Amino acid sequence: MNKEAAYWITLAHIPGWGYAKINTLIVRFSQEQNISIGEFFDLPETEWQRLYALEPKDIEELNAAKADLPNNAFLAEQLENEGYELIPVTSPEYSQTLKTNLKANHAPALLYVKGNKQILQEKSVAIVGSRNASEVSLEFTDHIAQKATKDFKVVVSGFAKGVDKQALDAAIKYTGQSIIVLPQGIMTFSTGFKTYYKQIVDGDVLVVSVFHPRAPWKAELAMARNPIIYALADEIYVAESSDTGGTWSGVIDGLRKKRKIYVRKPEPAEENANDLLIEKGAVAVDIQGNEILDESALLVKEQDAEFEKKILELLKSGEYTTKDILKRLDMNWSESRLRDFLKAQKGIETIIKKPLRYTGKQQTLFD
Amino acid sequence: MNRQEAEVVLQNRFQLSRFYDEQWTTIERLLQGERVLLIEKTGFGKSLCFQFPATLFSGITVVFSPLIALMRDQSKKLTSLGIPAKCINSEQTHEENSSIIAEAREGRIKILYIAPERQENPEWMEATRELNLSMVVVDEAHCISVWGHDFRPAFKRIINLVQLLPKGLPVLATTATATPRVQSDIEKQMGGNLSVIRGNLMRESFRLFVVNVESEDEKLIWLGKNLERLPGTGLLYTGTRMDTEIYSKWLEHLHISSIGYNAGLDIESRIAIENGLMNNKWKCIISTNALGMGIDKPDIRFIIHTQIPQSPIHYYQEIGRAGRDGEPAYIILFYHPDDKRLPEVFIEGGRPAISKYERVIRAVKSELLGEKDLMRKTNLRMTQFRVIKADLVEQKIIREVTFSKGKKFEYIAGSPKLNTALFEELRACKLRELEKMLGYIDTTESRMKYLCSYLGDDSKLSFNNCDNTGQKKIRVIVTPEWKERLKDFRENYFPEINAETKGTCIVSGIAASFYGFSNVGAAIHRSKYEGAGEFPDFLIRQTLKAYRKKFDDEQFDLLLYVPPTVSGDLVRNFADKIATVLRIPISHKLKKQRPTSEQKVFENHYLKHDNVADSFMYDSPDEIADKNILLIDDIFDSGATVKEIGRYLSHLGAAKIAPLVIARTVGGDIHE
Repeated sequence: MNKEAAYWITLAHIPGWGYAKINTLIVRFSQEQNISIGEFFDLPETEWQRLYALEPKDIEELNAAKADLPNNAFLAEQLENEGYELIPVTSPEYSQTLKTNLKANHAPALLYVKGNKQILQEKSVAIVGSRNASEVSLEFTDHIAQKATKDFKVVVSGFAKGVDKQALDAAIKYTGQSIIVLPQGIMTFSTGFKTYYKQIVDGDVLVVSVFHPRAPWKAELAMARNPIIYALADEIYVAESSDTGGTWSGVIDGLRKKRKIYVRKPEPAEENANDLLIEKGAVAVDIQGNEILDESALLVKEQDAEFEKKILELLKSGEYTTKDILKRLDMNWSESRLRDFLKAQKGIETIIKKPLRYTGKQQTLFD
Repeated sequence: MNRQEAEVVLQNRFQLSRFYDEQWTTIERLLQGERVLLIEKTGFGKSLCFQFPATLFSGITVVFSPLIALMRDQSKKLTSLGIPAKCINSEQTHEENSSIIAEAREGRIKILYIAPERQENPEWMEATRELNLSMVVVDEAHCISVWGHDFRPAFKRIINLVQLLPKGLPVLATTATATPRVQSDIEKQMGGNLSVIRGNLMRESFRLFVVNVESEDEKLIWLGKNLERLPGTGLLYTGTRMDTEIYSKWLEHLHISSIGYNAGLDIESRIAIENGLMNNKWKCIISTNALGMGIDKPDIRFIIHTQIPQSPIHYYQEIGRAGRDGEPAYIILFYHPDDKRLPEVFIEGGRPAISKYERVIRAVKSELLGEKDLMRKTNLRMTQFRVIKADLVEQKIIREVTFSKGKKFEYIAGSPKLNTALFEELRACKLRELEKMLGYIDTTESRMKYLCSYLGDDSKLSFNNCDNTGQKKIRVIVTPEWKERLKDFRENYFPEINAETKGTCIVSGIAASFYGFSNVGAAIHRSKYEGAGEFPDFLIRQTLKAYRKKFDDEQFDLLLYVPPTVSGDLVRNFADKIATVLRIPISHKLKKQRPTSEQKVFENHYLKHDNVADSFMYDSPDEIADKNILLIDDIFDSGATVKEIGRYLSHLGAAKIAPLVIARTVGGDIHE
């Protein structure tokens, strides 16, 4: 049992505090000051002000939250009793993929989970798409889930109708592992826990929620959980998207963050926005999930993969600017492309000097 | 606030002039937001240690207590002092509890008493979101330890809660009975920063006696001769429910004012007896140790045990209820060498076979089930099932989760294997404790000192309040006259059959004997299972005697008997003979319309009920209307069969159904 659970619940749900603000505080007390969350809450206001640069309004809000600690202790006990677990962002059990993808600005400070937590450490595939998906989209979803399962990858989905549900059912059908990301508080999902009892006992399903445990389903929560689905996955497959709604905005957001997103290439007669997403930079795949490439593109792709390997190898040996890298490896990439690539790598640290330098680096809380 | 100021407040609010030193030390620490374990004897004034600071705090103090009677008494007392206090418990109606929970949410209650089980109640858990909590009290804290005498699994959740409470929120745990081992277990479980305050456990007002007897008869005779000579009113503790019934019938036979009490009684009867005890309505209440915990009666003048308790800590706890007013109280323990068998059996058989644990684990793993379905699936007795459940929850192999339609059991994925070494260790520990209890019988030193030092109190007080240190020894003198009276009682004593159920016209019936009492059970067994032929005549004579005692003034129109499960006419022939003597018309038309299994195959009430449900039919249903029926069977166990027939006949319009059986068993798993 996490004896500081009540503190984490309290901090994670201070009204009006975003993840960025909360995470900044967490980094300060846990890494810079090296104290526990309980010790942080116990500090006098003067210290909050002095060491954490909190404004009077923040302190007022923090004090109001502090008064809820005993109430949250009751809640934490109930969670523990019913088998829910808390994973704070400081925990090694927290999904590294989630942290890398969302960074301190967007990573939830606290995950509520039930099921096999180990699943959070596995390679993962998100399958997303419309609630009213077509037959062919559902078939595609089935194929991707089957393939993921075969490769021992976890299928991440959002427990909505259509593609989400298909992804989960398929993963279960092929006895693979799944993460369900809830659009609601974890204590309001008892029907689901009944339905997936066997899979949870067998260690094949993990249910995750980032919201207050008692929060009922709401459209806003469903929207807010989409980025979590994308961020929990190493690969994202889109079965079907219209040009508005959760799937669309999720993919656009992902592309902006330079994530590689696979979109099913639609049949000519289909009316959806899949082609539009491909135009915007998503990777087209066929119904089996295989990339659709012409030969020359294939060649470029191989070459790029070769470069990527060499870059990472090189950076292990020291600090380099982008110019250094391009020159040493005799590459035809643009500097901006190289910068983007470097930013997207987990193991690379940026050294703030002029010009910027890059190197293979040590793990810290946030990359 | 210093002590002087506090004592001024104390005078105003509680009408008490001063604190004891240990009380003040405790209160001071609580006021500073610390966590305290307070071990003090009954009557010391532990409650004041939280009641006083509770009145100073702005919010609510929640007191977790397993003792409903105590909760009631204390909240009444506080209310009379003008301190808003309430209790939530299972003996109040749902509406009462709801309105108290609402008051607590609105901050209108200072001290709220609540049973640990309430943590499972959704309404209460919902309310905890809004409470302005100032302090938590864990009363009877020894209940959190499996090494104590009264481990209660529901306390586990309270401990978890305490561990999660923020630093600076005061927590008080209290107990009167903690051995050093239990104390350290409590300290470990409650987590860091717990300071312990321990007082001396000496009760100088006790007069302790041990009476070595040569037979069960001697106990009955001594009580018959002497009970009324003891001062005031008191309690007589027996080892089993059967003994409770026998001893109370014996005293009734002698016209000594007394009443029997057991945990199987309905709530109204229990409250009526508890109130009667408070008002000295009877000389003596006969009970298993279910009675008396937490009853705040200052002047219990004697506590007598007819059966040796399992350990000195059980004994100290049970006698602790006497003489709280400081006046002398007689503490008498009867002992016959055979008596140690009962606690031995209890310790040896305290845990079901490992295969039964595995049966439960397998069932929980395969399916999400509630208690009822799980018992059906595993065919375990309720008592055994509850032990297994508690152990598996304790070992974190299963958990109990509340769903909208009741609780279900979940298997905890990746949980450890069942740790049976722990059971062995517990068993060995309990046997050692029993040895220590036997040591109390044999000691030639001060008995008070013996108990205190067992409980970790090594204070150097002098003890001269027992039959080894100045009090006159008690000896039993058996006269022929008393022997005769006891014989007369034995021959005229018949156990009651309580099969009354809602919506039926079954009335209370009678049995010729207990199954395990005298030679009746053995005779039935020989006829039923060893091919010894018809039930012997003495059973018929005994049954007729029971009938005359209970039903002599009543008229019956029809005699029926329970049709056999397998084959054979034992009960039919027996019923025939009874009918002939009593001249009641007998009918053979009550039949089974589908095969059933023998009830003894089923270990629990649910399966027994399922086995016989809708299994009976009567060939000419019209004959039943308005009839007064005498229903015969050989053994009355769980009562499921008799109740099912009663239900069916009531449905056909019977006026009355009265059960008459040869033997009644004791301690079936459910006592409705």
